[in-house]
Amino acid sequence: MEESDSVESLCSSTTTRSDRSSGTRVSDTELRSKGRVIEKVLQCKYPSKGELPLLPEEHVQDSAKDVTYICPFIGPVRGSLSVTNYRLFFRCTDREPVFGLDLPLGVLSRVEKIGAATSRGDVSYGLACKDMRNLRFVHKEPEDSLKKSVFEVLMKFAFPVSNNMSLFAFEYKQVFPENGWKVYDPLAEYKRQGLPNESWRISKVNDHYELCDSYPAALVVPVTITDEELRRVSSFRAKGRIPVLSWIHPESQAAVVRASQPMVGQNGRRCKEDEKLLQAIMDANAQSHKMFIFDARPSVNAAANKMKGGGYESEDAYQNAELVFLDIHNIHVMRESLRKLKEVVYPNIEDSHWLSNLESTHWLEHIKLILAGALRIADKVESGKTSVVVHCSDGWDRTPQLTSLALIMLDSHYRTIRGFQILLEKEWLSFGHRFQQRVGHGDKNHTDADRSPIFLQFIDCVWQMTRQFPAAFEFNEYFLITILDHLYSCLFGTFLCNSEQQRLKEEVPKHTVSLWSFVNSQLEEFVNPLYVGYPSHVLFPTVGIRHLQLWVTYYIRWNPRMRPQEPVHQRYKELLAKRAELQKRVEELQREAANRTASSSSERAGSPTRSITPVQTFV
Amino acid sequence: MHVKYLSRVQISANHSLLSEIVVNEANFVRKCIGAESCQDDLWGKLVCTNFKVSFIAHNSLPRQRFQCTHRLLGEHDIPLACVEQVVTVNDVKGKQKILGSNQKLKFNPTELILYCKDFRIIRFRFDEAGPESAKKVCLAIAHYSHPADPQLLFGFEYVGKRYHGSTGERVNGVDPGGGLQTPLFDCSSDWDREIKRTGASEWRVCTINQGYFISPSLPEFFVVPVSLADQDLKQYACCFYSQRIPLWCWNHSSGSALVRMSNISDPQQQRKVEQRISSAITKSHPLRSDVFKSDLDKNLPNIQDIQAALLKLRQICVIDSFEESEEKWLSSLESSRWMEYVRTFLRHAVEVVYMLESRHVSVILLEKEDRDLSCVISCLVQLMCDPHCRSLHSFQGLIQKEWVMAGHRFLDRCNHLKRNDKEESPVFLLFLDCVWQLWNQYPAAFEFTEVYLTVLGDSMWVPVFSTFLFNCPRQRAEHSRDFASSKSIHLGQDQALCFPPVWDWSQQFSLKDQTLFNNPLYVGKIATCVQNGTVKTFTHRRSKKNYSSTLRGLPSALRNGSLGPNDTLTRRNSLMLRLRSDLSQVREQQETPSERFVRDFFSRPVDLQGLLLPQLLPSHLSVWKLYFLRWVPEAQIPQGGPITAFHKLSVLTDEIEMLQNQLRQYQGAAGTPNNLHAEHSKMYFKATSTPHQSPAPPEYLSSSFPFSPVGNLCRPGILGTPLSKLLNGAKIWLSTETLANETI
Repeated sequence: MEESDSVESLCSSTTTRSDRSSGTRVSDTELRSKGRVIEKVLQCKYPSKGELPLLPEEHVQDSAKDVTYICPFIGPVRGSLSVTNYRLFFRCTDREPVFGLDLPLGVLSRVEKIGAATSRGDVSYGLACKDMRNLRFVHKEPEDSLKKSVFEVLMKFAFPVSNNMSLFAFEYKQVFPENGWKVYDPLAEYKRQGLPNESWRISKVNDHYELCDSYPAALVVPVTITDEELRRVSSFRAKGRIPVLSWIHPESQAAVVRASQPMVGQNGRRCKEDEKLLQAIMDANAQSHKMFIFDARPSVNAAANKMKGGGYESEDAYQNAELVFLDIHNIHVMRESLRKLKEVVYPNIEDSHWLSNLESTHWLEHIKLILAGALRIADKVESGKTSVVVHCSDGWDRTPQLTSLALIMLDSHYRTIRGFQILLEKEWLSFGHRFQQRVGHGDKNHTDADRSPIFLQFIDCVWQMTRQFPAAFEFNEYFLITILDHLYSCLFGTFLCNSEQQRLKEEVPKHTVSLWSFVNSQLEEFVNPLYVGYPSHVLFPTVGIRHLQLWVTYYIRWNPRMRPQEPVHQRYKELLAKRAELQKRVEELQREAANRTASSSSERAGSPTRSITPVQTFV
Repeated sequence: MHVKYLSRVQISANHSLLSEIVVNEANFVRKCIGAESCQDDLWGKLVCTNFKVSFIAHNSLPRQRFQCTHRLLGEHDIPLACVEQVVTVNDVKGKQKILGSNQKLKFNPTELILYCKDFRIIRFRFDEAGPESAKKVCLAIAHYSHPADPQLLFGFEYVGKRYHGSTGERVNGVDPGGGLQTPLFDCSSDWDREIKRTGASEWRVCTINQGYFISPSLPEFFVVPVSLADQDLKQYACCFYSQRIPLWCWNHSSGSALVRMSNISDPQQQRKVEQRISSAITKSHPLRSDVFKSDLDKNLPNIQDIQAALLKLRQICVIDSFEESEEKWLSSLESSRWMEYVRTFLRHAVEVVYMLESRHVSVILLEKEDRDLSCVISCLVQLMCDPHCRSLHSFQGLIQKEWVMAGHRFLDRCNHLKRNDKEESPVFLLFLDCVWQLWNQYPAAFEFTEVYLTVLGDSMWVPVFSTFLFNCPRQRAEHSRDFASSKSIHLGQDQALCFPPVWDWSQQFSLKDQTLFNNPLYVGKIATCVQNGTVKTFTHRRSKKNYSSTLRGLPSALRNGSLGPNDTLTRRNSLMLRLRSDLSQVREQQETPSERFVRDFFSRPVDLQGLLLPQLLPSHLSVWKLYFLRWVPEAQIPQGGPITAFHKLSVLTDEIEMLQNQLRQYQGAAGTPNNLHAEHSKMYFKATSTPHQSPAPPEYLSSSFPFSPVGNLCRPGILGTPLSKLLNGAKIWLSTETLANETI
């Protein structure tokens, strides 16, 4: 029984509560925690009573008694605080039942001393978290000035990168039955799409990341364009991110192509090869003599980029291509919007102006614009049978948001658990969304202007779609929350570094565990029981604000007044169990009847004969 | 062509009821279907009868397979009682007029727009119709939708016809109470049963109001404390507003009673009468607990506030153009205050529940007339406390008891006569929204679905049901007596005309369509069927798996180490979900006892067959989209929405039903042949012949199911209707190709 304590703690970045019937137990309050991992799968140390549940290679660095946690919901709580190389662990000592906090240091974006010590020597520390909460502690400074405060130790381990240490992911050596690093094989994925084919080839021009260091090694390009031409195109596209194929429609051959902005500049520079490449993309689709270029930015921003050498495709240079701006704002606007959202939802929600406060954050409006953009892309490809090129400025923020959402709409494979992993590996990780920069793993520079919740926004959009189509996704909400929790936790190597090249250089797959190893070793936790896998079904979500809602189970999960809604899923599982039970009884009776009549043909047509597997998951 | 036309008329004749009279009609009328072009528009005849506005189409819409066929109304029919406003337009002259009863129209209308109470907006064009007949039909619609007298409401003709046939024969399908399982509370036995059921042994049925001699707005039978003699009651009656003696609603299992009371009109008597009543209620409490008075007028919005909120909500949902309202949707929604009111009512009900449940005191709901706000609160309290009320028939009984019999002024609040707008107020709809919020938070606790709640709301505008036609039982009796004598109808044994209650759903829908009301998730009866350990084990696991709770602590049951999860399960009925968001360690300094009560509730696992309290964070109430947005084409999710999950659940529940039948068959209990199942299934969506394969949801499902926006929401707009605006504007959602595919 006890081993599961430590096991659970890695289930989510926030972890553990337990309701087993023995032992000292710490439950984390105000942490959205989740349950348990299959105990057989994971092996951990067995902490004895009172000890902290630790992960492999996790070590306590410092602890302090007499720390007060100022809980915004229940007031001050006194207890002891421990810092390991992976997490912060707070356990209260003066109240029953036990109350605790357990969070990975990776979620901390800022740790700071608030004000000076009081006359009694108390110092207050504020911890700002990336997952929509702030924590405050009060602590007596050690009398011995040589001894470091536990918070200094905390700061050191919370920001290992700033302190020339490695992230915990590089130390954590859990072995899982499945190796998640093998989930995505680009060639296999392209093969699934029927590539290469007569119009598209897989180029090795970027094998050593020479053409573009933020792109993957394998690129799909039109057969009519040579590698030499691609090199020339790369000098015309920002950061060398040339137009390459993301997805191809299995029937119409309309393609979703991604790129960065063309380096048009104020003088309207042109590039013959780039024009040829886009023409070739259009020609690869016999169904349409037109093409759409979706520029994710507001047109004003796109025009402003000309000052910096960038810009957008002119209609003169690219005939038959129609340029559409999608009005999605940049990373700074999104960061600010999330900051406002946090103010509105944490710690308390104002009763009287909730809706207008929510509106003033513009968060849902941004979600709407992103979804609307993806919908237009999917619609052009599916209904218009037209190929599309998608880009923003660098093609690594808004572009993957749009392409991956459009792909989820277009291809039901990406709505399965493994398909979704492939989508993330492909559109986000291999195509160089700058996770390290946007999240700031282990970096204490919390004001870094490169940070932005772009990926969170994407997951929010996916969640919105799962709400509109409750039977179309194989994964459940918990899957999405787990991904977000481990985006920050730095327990797994999946979201480290900025590009495929960097991950190879750092040997991330060799030295860290993939999040998918963890997820795929306990898939049943993440399955949506209402899933109906209907192939070749395109989803067109409704993107009006009326149908978008704030993801309360993520953004407001720390609020103790918030409580999960009665889950339909749960009831569904119960019904499944009931069906299985009835089936068993029917079968028994059938067998009896068969024996009684001693006839071999007593089975009735239409009676179910095989028992149902789902029962086993909860026996 | 001519033949075809006739046959159409005949088809529609199926929908015309006996006693329905055509008042006026116009030919070559166009009904607008799509908002952005007229290519889908239908040609046909616009007919005004004494019951409805009917459109008999020459060319019909491709029939959507899912459409429920309403037995009283055709696809394009609008009952006159549902018409809120009749607007005539002449777009050549740029003139527009809202038509009332007996008015003149100085221009020839080119267009007729009907704004409906159920949020539909229907448009007809008269480009090809004769100008005179167009004008006449518009005037007729305006006139007949403003009946001068309640007896002109169609329900009277509809029911009156029954008495012209030979006795016992069903005309217009009226079957008074026959086979109806819903208690109507119009006889003392229904009240007796309710007293027994709730264990209210110190309460009795009082009959002093038989013949309505004491109070005009009270029912003939109601329940009072046993310690109050008829003589006392008669004496007190005159002190109360409209002689309304306080009414018993319900007893909590602790013995606390829920009572509703109107204001005492005589200030001199006030203290004395109040004391007498209170002490009688105290005497009826097993613990002789105190009585708590809850003043609803002080704490809740009044009927005009509620009406204003609904009008604003309607404005942003269906009248404002989609794009414009989109930008300020959230703040407009907030300023409509509808959601705020829903929350206020729910919160007030929770306060009352706290007094009953935790303080064990009886509660008097005090409202000036005791005919509006108390109806909402008393029902909500019972729904939260009493799992019995969450089954379909008991829910209907609850509405009978707390609304119909208690004298909610449905006639005035619905404004069927369109006489006094100040009296109009959607109190009942607000109540349905509150129920929907509870349903939405605990979908497995209710036997009915949101389709049921929506259809129930719509039925207010079909003026043939006793439920929604009158202000009180006495009014019903008087009007039907008058009507009978004026039409020389011999009522025979009946005291009043036998209007069907809305609960006789076969008046409106086929048995098949009625299965849309059945919730596949409902745990009520299924729970007891599971006996072996499978499910228990499962529930046990579930309790550990829950990840979405927030504050964590040890469940109180485990703290002393003596209670295992299984003990709890046995105690709480094994199927109950064990949600643990333990807040028990939360201690707030300024917490009120009722807040503590709510928090305690949330710290325990939910028992769907026990007390249910709603979550009241503003972020946790949602807009009832099926009701308010079902007609808005832009807000529809094709092949999506909660219905797709409902579909899968429905199929599974049907499979379970099928297996149970098989079991019964094997056990030889009843020799039910296999094929019987299909007819008697409670589920709308049936299991396929190959079980265990999840069938894909049918393509016709959408978030509006079983309703359809097609032709039901044509916002008048000269410069481009919403859809075309979308297509031309900067923020385009879908190309014309997709839209074309979808409208088919």
